[in-house]
Amino acid sequence: MTLPPPPFDPELAAALEVVAETLPSSFGLDGIAERRQGLAFLDTSDEQLSRDGLFEVEDRAVPGPQGAPGISLLICRPAGSVGGRPVIYHTHGGGMIVGNNRLGVDMALDWARELDAVVVSVEYRLAPEHPHPAPVEDVYAGLLWTAEHADEIGGDPERIVIAGASAGGGLTAALALLTRDRGGPRPLGQMLMCPMLDDRNDTPSAHQMAGLGVWDQKSNETGWTALLGDRRGGPDVSPYAAPARAEDLSGLPPAFLDVGSAETFRDETTAYASRIWQAGGVAELHVWPGGFHGYDGFAPQAALSQATVAARLAWLRRLVGE
Amino acid sequence: MKELAGRLTALDPDAGAAVRVIAYFDRLAESRAGLEALVRGAAVLAGCPARLVDAGRRVRVRVEPDGSRRDTDLPPDTRWPSESLTPDGAAALWLERSGAGPSVVDAVILERAAGAIRLVLDRTRGRAPVSPADDPALVETLLDPTAPERARLLAARRLGLDTADPATRARALASLDGPPRILSAHLGERPADTALPAGRLGVGPAVPVLDLPRSWAAARTALRFTAEGTARDPGPGVVHADDLGGISLLADLVVPGAEPPPDVHALERAVADTPWMLVTLHAVAATASLRAAAAEVNVHHSTLQDRLTHAESLLGWPVRTPQGRLRLQLSLAVRKLAQETG
Repeated sequence: MTLPPPPFDPELAAALEVVAETLPSSFGLDGIAERRQGLAFLDTSDEQLSRDGLFEVEDRAVPGPQGAPGISLLICRPAGSVGGRPVIYHTHGGGMIVGNNRLGVDMALDWARELDAVVVSVEYRLAPEHPHPAPVEDVYAGLLWTAEHADEIGGDPERIVIAGASAGGGLTAALALLTRDRGGPRPLGQMLMCPMLDDRNDTPSAHQMAGLGVWDQKSNETGWTALLGDRRGGPDVSPYAAPARAEDLSGLPPAFLDVGSAETFRDETTAYASRIWQAGGVAELHVWPGGFHGYDGFAPQAALSQATVAARLAWLRRLVGE
Repeated sequence: MKELAGRLTALDPDAGAAVRVIAYFDRLAESRAGLEALVRGAAVLAGCPARLVDAGRRVRVRVEPDGSRRDTDLPPDTRWPSESLTPDGAAALWLERSGAGPSVVDAVILERAAGAIRLVLDRTRGRAPVSPADDPALVETLLDPTAPERARLLAARRLGLDTADPATRARALASLDGPPRILSAHLGERPADTALPAGRLGVGPAVPVLDLPRSWAAARTALRFTAEGTARDPGPGVVHADDLGGISLLADLVVPGAEPPPDVHALERAVADTPWMLVTLHAVAATASLRAAAAEVNVHHSTLQDRLTHAESLLGWPVRTPQGRLRLQLSLAVRKLAQETG
């Protein structure tokens, strides 16, 4: 049975109309190169990141996972800060297969400007060239370095908020599980924005939104297959690859989850929030009506995007407690 | 969209940019987006603040290019590019772009956004003006004797008439070149001149709400007795049906454009004879005495006597006897009623 999809929000539908040609809803493994090209216009220069000197921008090479190459962290510190500031540890999106650590960092800088916080954005190896666990291990290595060197970059090691959108949201959720299980640094909170959590790719929303929006079921299958190969959807997928697979969601840092009602990830996001509550955890969930995947980035001016951004900032303010 | 706006501006005046603008607003209109979303679209795509001002409908929306709503009471700068939303230009959409003239893309944005905004305003705020007294559909229903009573009572209530009170009275007004109007009335009182619209007007009698079709018929009859008030067409511009009494019966006998009776032919011959004839005869018919008639047409009493002697010879009947004066009055009235205008 084909379920009728919820309608897009009017403003978002109009924006989608004009971004659709650069971002088709569906693409296969052979479309990865094209997808990488399509996002190139979003690349941000150091000068743009500095926001007229508001931030000091630095690319820092740090050690990678054991036996793996080093990784690169983009560090943006508020200029003239006295230190001890909250840290936003950002993991970019891009379906596990595209993007770099500057993708989406604008949003983290918006929070940092409001909170006088430090932003660290991790560069991780991409699938399919580097399948699981390369991406999540790179992300974990970056967090270890950040926690150990927080003072050095003007940050407070006790107040590291991990955050990411889409694949970055999935990796952030995985990072929270990984650091819990390994006894690593404990983040203050986890912000999972339209997160990519479930390799099974079989929820009602995934079926419902096929062929619509900017990241549909087929694209999602492409991303997960790139990360997991033949294991995708099978019985032995690690929760550090697909956090929806985790049997235990207790003992996690407070979570913020948001998602549009008109996108592939709606049902896996709401299910993940419910399971955190069922495990006795803390989670705040927002489902924004008529939002497509990543709408707040594609159409930041839309009324729904403004409300989405405001809700995230409000949560962060409460979390960092200033 | 930030990127999009940048790319659109960079592409200007590439036709591709215009096509995207059109697609954007078409999609907004299709999904019945509200005013703010449409103004925001204009601001974002143009990369400058956009504002919608419709004072008549109390609409004021201003959006910055980052999408945030920031209304202002300051008047728009007339040099900004704009698109009118109403024929009189009282309502308009503005792009707050100073300096360089509007680009091709600006023009497309204004045109498409304004088109969609007009539809939303009509849908959500009603067509201006909003005063129900001017709503022709309500008035027509109320004046239509074949409309169901319930519909007429509903129309009356929406026009502000208290249909629950049996003492409520209203009158219909027939105007030469405007739509029918309804005036609430008090029994036995004449409407103040200031309460009446300008121009030639037939004023119907004050009646209960459901009798308004009768008041309307009487008002239209009264309108046929009105005149321009000029030398060519002397007489009152406003006629009250209440003042006509039995004279209004004449209206049923005289079909406009039909062959007039012999007395009217004689009157036409006299009128054609000299320029002063019509005003002079009208003054005699409409005033209380010959002295008053002389004053009315601004001639000496003896001059009037000379004129009337000449008139009587052309008409073939005396106008200075009571019976002759009645015959003159009837002829003037029938002549008026036979005209196509009133």
